[in-house]
Amino acid sequence: MTPSTARVARTIGLEIWLPIVLVVVWWFASANSTSVYFPPLSSILGSFAHDWLDPAALPKNLVPSLQLLALGYLLAVVTGIVLGLVLGLVAPLERATRPLLEVLRAIPGVALLPIFIVLFGIDLQMKVLLIAFGAFWPVLLNTIDGVRGIEPVLLDVSRVFRVGRMRRLVSIVLPGASPQIFAGARTALAIALIIMVVSETIGGNGGVGYFLLNAQRNFAISSMWGAILALGILGYLLNIVLRIIERSVLRWHRLQQARLESQP
Amino acid sequence: MTITGSKKLQQAAGGNTDVALAARGLGHAYHGRNVLSSIDFEVRRGEFVCIVGPSGVGKTTLLRCLAGLQASTSGTVMIAGEPVTEPVPGVALVFQDYSRSLMPWASVLHNVTLPLRANGTSRAAAREEGLRALTLVGLDDVAAGMYPWQLSGGMQQRVAIARALAYNPALLLMDEPFASVDAYTRADLEDLMLRLQRELSLTVVLVTHDIDESVYLSDRVIALNGSPASVADIVEIPLGAERDQVGTKSTAEFAALRGRVHALIRGSRGSADATEARE
Amino acid sequence: MTSNTLSTSTTGALPRPVPQRTGRLLRLATQAGVIVLALLLWWFASATLPEATMPSPVETLARMGQLALTGGFWDAVGQTLLTFAAGLLICTVVGVPVGLAIGWSRIATQSTRLVFDFLRTIPPIAILPLVLLIYGPTFEMVLVVVVLGAIWPILIQSVYAARQGESLLAEMSASFRVPRRWFVTHVFFPGSLPFVMTGLRVGTTICLLLTITGELLSGAPGIGFQIQDAQLSLDTPRMYAYVLVSAVLGLLVNGGFWSAQRYLLRWHASNRKESAR
Repeated sequence: MTPSTARVARTIGLEIWLPIVLVVVWWFASANSTSVYFPPLSSILGSFAHDWLDPAALPKNLVPSLQLLALGYLLAVVTGIVLGLVLGLVAPLERATRPLLEVLRAIPGVALLPIFIVLFGIDLQMKVLLIAFGAFWPVLLNTIDGVRGIEPVLLDVSRVFRVGRMRRLVSIVLPGASPQIFAGARTALAIALIIMVVSETIGGNGGVGYFLLNAQRNFAISSMWGAILALGILGYLLNIVLRIIERSVLRWHRLQQARLESQP
Repeated sequence: MTITGSKKLQQAAGGNTDVALAARGLGHAYHGRNVLSSIDFEVRRGEFVCIVGPSGVGKTTLLRCLAGLQASTSGTVMIAGEPVTEPVPGVALVFQDYSRSLMPWASVLHNVTLPLRANGTSRAAAREEGLRALTLVGLDDVAAGMYPWQLSGGMQQRVAIARALAYNPALLLMDEPFASVDAYTRADLEDLMLRLQRELSLTVVLVTHDIDESVYLSDRVIALNGSPASVADIVEIPLGAERDQVGTKSTAEFAALRGRVHALIRGSRGSADATEARE
Repeated sequence: MTSNTLSTSTTGALPRPVPQRTGRLLRLATQAGVIVLALLLWWFASATLPEATMPSPVETLARMGQLALTGGFWDAVGQTLLTFAAGLLICTVVGVPVGLAIGWSRIATQSTRLVFDFLRTIPPIAILPLVLLIYGPTFEMVLVVVVLGAIWPILIQSVYAARQGESLLAEMSASFRVPRRWFVTHVFFPGSLPFVMTGLRVGTTICLLLTITGELLSGAPGIGFQIQDAQLSLDTPRMYAYVLVSAVLGLLVNGGFWSAQRYLLRWHASNRKESAR
């Protein structure tokens, strides 16, 4: 083994030993559990496989959630970036709307659920809008910050070289703000997941939230644990997807940060 | 101004009181790659020595080994006749990056007194020592109450120097201390260091990449070159105690010394004369 | 560690200083104008939409005034604030020291990275049905959900904060032989505070969100329950009034946090009034 592969192996070993130990401990500690609320890990994994790995169960349990999440999240990200660019570039507008934005942002997303039900019913539309509303704020505020944090010299340079407005937006403002935008998108994803689960407990269209509610009504404890596990894995995978996108889009930023950190 | 560290250092030096610091066959490797190899030199007490070499030659690594912040992979550092494995008493360090080596949440005075307070000096005595050290570098009571980031870069580096002086060091190590300030401030700080070194009989080891600076400040210049870096030669600088930025730097002697160090660093030991002739 | 830390401005920027007085007056006027415009829009929407879907702003505010005279209103607000405060306290008291201790050691940091990363991504609401079965719709139940949801950003950000201890200040302290205890209290802790505060800010927002969500979904007493109850009894003005109250709470909590942060981090770059002279 070369020194670098040895180092990689050491890092991987360091990162996975504890998760493995915890799973093993959980397995044996719960093996003979008679507690109603803390069933053996073996039966949780059984429920998990049955509810979340069986292709027959997925269209009812998982697909509606993914659909809902994708629509709501994308709506939030797109509108957040567009409005964030506008407010970030037009300072007077941002100053004028700041208090209103602060009030709206302060509303806990889920508290709006009853209002959204009254206004939009209990269909997909209501759920998508609720997710979009909750996840919108971190993207918006981070985009504004990102745009306003762009190195002013860069903007001066683009003006001296008479770079057009549109081109400046696409080539300088958007990339310059993107590290911040991605930070907002990560927070937004966590919020979107929460609101997704909550909104699915309304109406009977399936999805993870609906499944959880059902399991609770039927006192199916192992199924509930299985669903918690599934949500954890779903959240983890979505984060990884977001991170992969971020890594490729923000390659320059990552390399620059690494260089800044490595310099004495 | 005595502190246990410097006393101990003076006593421990014992038979060979003259040598404050010695590097013996010092070598260092990062991930199997040698950056320093068989570095040998001595620094006498009361001497101002500059270690000069091009950027990236391993000067900072060398200084960290001297300060005991980093264990060398081979050879030894001796301070006061004892091998250094960790930071030892009586050795103060001034870093290049003043903005990161000063605590932004603490006042100037608090920054200067932290090492004293942490090592057991009473609050009142530390305050007195701190104010005295600040006066030595030209900062008054008003500046003492400010945050470091309210001061200019040159002033901040003066604070870092005051912190080192308040510690009453038997050996003062400086890592590119003036590399982050403008040319005028730099000249001021160089003259400040020359004056302080004379008045307080400090022993100073200063690392720099600037040949003019090394010649202007030093009693001796240790020139590094090569990869891994080693000592190309040690040059005596017989420019006397009184130096000034314009006069000293325009003498033929200064130019010759400067040319000699320059040639050493470029690794052409034999062609030193040729370089001198050209200048 | 960089990938799962929070950007220092994940939830908004510090209000920026305004240079001139006339500028400030003009700004206040336009801001007030925007709010009035929003209220007019609300009023217009309430007049156009079918009955009982949206009360007018006047009706909502009047209802809020009425409610404020009742004891039940203050009980609900008090209960929500109590749960929120208890949750934030537990998260802080546990999350910050544990995070800093883990971050102190590189091995501990690497070993726990995946575990924290996984636990962090579980939407805290997922455990609510289970916790509800165990505790019923009570204060304890909401508290468990709040703590299990809000502790991760605080913990993870504290781990990150401690990793900053590898900086030049640690070397400075080592070279001046500053003892471990002094280093921790005078250098390490103040130095990690800005990063800890970032985690606490996110944690504070999540605490309030989860408190109200937990009450709303489980029927535990508090503002969330009042919103749900108003919806079930088709009392839309009361529902809007309580949603507005939750927004006001959010504003107060945010405002309180910013003042605390500005005081604690008055030396930090983001709060400096005076730049280099």
